[in-house]
Amino acid sequence: MTVIHPTDPILPVAPSRLRNVMTAVRRFFRKAPLSAFWGCIAAAIVIMSVAAPVIAPYPPLKSDFRAMQKPPDEKHWFGTDQIGRDTLSRVIYGSQASLLVAFGAVLFGTTLGALWGLACGYFGGRFDMISQRLIEFLQSFPDLILAMAIAMALGGGLGTVIVAIAVTRIPFGGRVIRSVVLSLKEMQYVEAARGLGASHKRLMFRHILPQCVAPYLILATTHLGVAIVIEASLGFLGVGIPPPNPTWGNMLSDALNSGLIPPWWLVFFPGAAITLTVLAFNLLGDGIRDMLDPRLRGSV
Amino acid sequence: MVFVVMRILPGDPLVAIFGPEGMSKLTEEQRAHFMKDLGLSDPLWVQYFAWVKDILAGNFGRSFFRSESVADMILRRGPLTAEIALLSVLISWVVGIPVAILSALRPNSIADSVVRFVSILFLAVPGFWIGMLIVLGLLFWFGYRAPMAGASLFVDPVANLQLIIGPAVVLGLGQAAYIARMARSSLLEVIREDYVRTARAKGLNGRLVISLHALPNAMLPVITLSGVLMGLVLAGSIPVERAFGTPGLGYAMFTAVSERDVFVMQNLVFLYAVVFVGLNILVDLAIALLDPRIRYQ
Repeated sequence: MTVIHPTDPILPVAPSRLRNVMTAVRRFFRKAPLSAFWGCIAAAIVIMSVAAPVIAPYPPLKSDFRAMQKPPDEKHWFGTDQIGRDTLSRVIYGSQASLLVAFGAVLFGTTLGALWGLACGYFGGRFDMISQRLIEFLQSFPDLILAMAIAMALGGGLGTVIVAIAVTRIPFGGRVIRSVVLSLKEMQYVEAARGLGASHKRLMFRHILPQCVAPYLILATTHLGVAIVIEASLGFLGVGIPPPNPTWGNMLSDALNSGLIPPWWLVFFPGAAITLTVLAFNLLGDGIRDMLDPRLRGSV
Repeated sequence: MVFVVMRILPGDPLVAIFGPEGMSKLTEEQRAHFMKDLGLSDPLWVQYFAWVKDILAGNFGRSFFRSESVADMILRRGPLTAEIALLSVLISWVVGIPVAILSALRPNSIADSVVRFVSILFLAVPGFWIGMLIVLGLLFWFGYRAPMAGASLFVDPVANLQLIIGPAVVLGLGQAAYIARMARSSLLEVIREDYVRTARAKGLNGRLVISLHALPNAMLPVITLSGVLMGLVLAGSIPVERAFGTPGLGYAMFTAVSERDVFVMQNLVFLYAVVFVGLNILVDLAIALLDPRIRYQ
């Protein structure tokens, strides 16, 4: 794996952190305009989900029995479903579930995995060996299947879906950060700190952890997209967040259950929302990766 | 591991069977009776060994809801999903590799940019959504719908092909995006190597150099990736089979999930994990066979 040099300008330096972030963002726009553009779309989606009550033209759960299963028109831009709920509003509200789950799962899963990887790489030995076997165990299940099994065992709901997807993210964080730590551990500045009598805790958190920020960020952004797709698949299979709360996955599932021939607008718009969101996060992730560490191009 | 996930996690299987309302109507005695019937009142380790014994004896148990045993179900539905998986791998290679060669030969050309954008797009599109759109489109424009009933490859190959072609194309294109990305970058690396330059220098034409000298070496990481992607295919076949209504193993998994059929689910998850790990071991062995630099002791 790669070594991030302490001189990299992106790594946070204690004074004037905000200014550094601003410079980094400006540099990002200049060097990778395409990724920055998709980053803006991702930001717009996040804002849309937070401001859903203001933006959405109708309440997402309110049925209008005079307008059932209407194709898109000027009153309902995305049409309505079988019981007259506005599809546009439901797609907007659906983003809340997707983003909450994606951010929550990546935050928990990747972070837990990263800390685990840090400990494995730092301590090595028997602890590392046992941990690696455990991680291989987790990895022997395709992620959607593992997430399904966990979500089903815990019963549906927002929290369980986050936990289920977070568990599938742990091995990735563990593996990547462990290999980074393995090479960092041998570097001279760490040895110097150890020579000066630094404790394990200080070595791990003061000297090694800050160098893991870049790979962690890269990993987290790439896995946001994956988490969104898994969430949608869980919803589609009926083990995600249960209806009537709209998620993109359970909207597609509802459409399929609505009869032999589902109306096209009920199928098209939620899926397009998933695609656009995942695309935006993936391309933003690509851009961040290229900027933080060009050597990783195409590998994570 | 599967056992641990499915059983030790909180959640009462009886709640799953009867639903929370039905549950509250059962008396304590009825509860104990059902638990005993299903072998759920034994200590966990007893249950665990009973399960391992069953699996080793080839007894996969039966569904709560259907009379069919899980082993029969696997035998009946498994081949369909296996065909889909195989065909999708084939499609991913047939589509992904030529496209990768095209874009690796002229990096940063228009064709290359188009290929890269399309492959990034395909990484983002959920397969089951494309599946639903395809089903709708065919129905809308051609009034066509794939047969609903299962059909064996040997008895009725035409019906069988109609069943598997849709899911296989969707899953295959999803994989092709990964394959194309990987093949492109590994080809770009190989093309810069000395031996490729030598081959060119001695006057071989470009097509021969690529197909005989560069491609075989660039294929190794692609084969490995194909093994990893089997996870994507196996898991992806569940929602995709639901979207197409294909009566394969993925659909059985979906049914088990929506009926909260814990035993079927547990055994199917176990089966998928075994198949996934087994395939990856096969891929590792294949790589060792193809690449003389790798030797296992």
